[in-house]
Amino acid sequence: MDERTFARLAEEYAGRLYAVAYRMLGHRADAEDAVQRALTKCFAARATYSPRWAVSTWLYRALANVCIDELRRRRPSAPLTERHAGPPPRGSDRLELTRALEAVPREARLLLALHYVDGLSYRELAAVRGISVNTVKSQLARGKAIMKRALDGA
Amino acid sequence: MNELDTTLKDFFTPAAPPRLARRVLGRLTAAPDLSSLIARFAIEATDRGVRRLAYGRGHDDATRGGRRHLERAREELVEYLGGRRTFFTVPIDLELPAFQAKVLAAADRVPFGEVTSYAELARRIGHPRAARAVGNALGANPVPIFLPCHRIVRGDGTWGHYAFGAALKTRLLALERATPALVGSATTRVVCRHGCPHEQRIAEANRIVFASVADAAGVGYRPCRHCRPVAEGC
Repeated sequence: MDERTFARLAEEYAGRLYAVAYRMLGHRADAEDAVQRALTKCFAARATYSPRWAVSTWLYRALANVCIDELRRRRPSAPLTERHAGPPPRGSDRLELTRALEAVPREARLLLALHYVDGLSYRELAAVRGISVNTVKSQLARGKAIMKRALDGA
Repeated sequence: MNELDTTLKDFFTPAAPPRLARRVLGRLTAAPDLSSLIARFAIEATDRGVRRLAYGRGHDDATRGGRRHLERAREELVEYLGGRRTFFTVPIDLELPAFQAKVLAAADRVPFGEVTSYAELARRIGHPRAARAVGNALGANPVPIFLPCHRIVRGDGTWGHYAFGAALKTRLLALERATPALVGSATTRVVCRHGCPHEQRIAEANRIVFASVADAAGVGYRPCRHCRPVAEGC
């Protein structure tokens, strides 16, 4: 993959990568940093990219790896919601959803974000995280159930 | 599509800051790799393990029985500086005053990629008012990096002093920040600590990073029996 193709891909995917990172990390600067690190990694490894892989799987896997590693470093008590000054949420619904998402375990949260940001199928999600399709289904169902419970209880 | 799906789809709609891709592409840089610094380190080893690590001065020195420890220490150090290792297995041979031994043992428990403050470390060893003494004990660490005193920073967020210089402390912390600690293989579904021989054989395309062993187990990965990743990342 040459540099120009990579730049075009980065332009095309940056928004979606950022959305996934933001919902995982809950902080704009961290999300941008995660996108930066994931794209840097892919850029360095672009020579080894194999076309038998979907580009989206390749990019999302790199991003997922970066986000998950970033979450490992945080203390369990660190809140997911914006910790610094930023635009306020667009309504109480969004705030409730953000809080509900905090209660979802990391792996399920990642699958939820990938599923809803880019509409990845179960099979694609399984390829991104190196897990079975059935695990994807159970994790997604678990994540959705937690969010639904949190929203109903709110 | 039910109501929850619609709500979630709307919630997850991408809204990236303007010109994000252009900004990111303009900053593409290689991952930090400090392995070229290896020539500046000098290691001393005895029959029982590594006794001293010096930077910028001195020469390697080992007793007859300590040569294997020296070679292993150098190998592991190169891998660490190149971002290919997150833990050390080479034995350490130290005879230290009880307080300093306690401080260094506590520093060794700070996980790879994380930092803590002098005051917090003092609290952890049961001497909450001894932050300065903790700093002195860390400053006299005979084997920096192997016992990671660089992960202890000042409470105000600045890095503070380091036996090998503040610049190297910054570079080591940046290196650790860019290196994942737990890596799974998508083909074998085994999760290893980064640096385990089994982990080093995982192809780039099959690497899956996990935040904890529990997360990995939750999606069907088992911990490696060789490097036994239990405490790390939990």
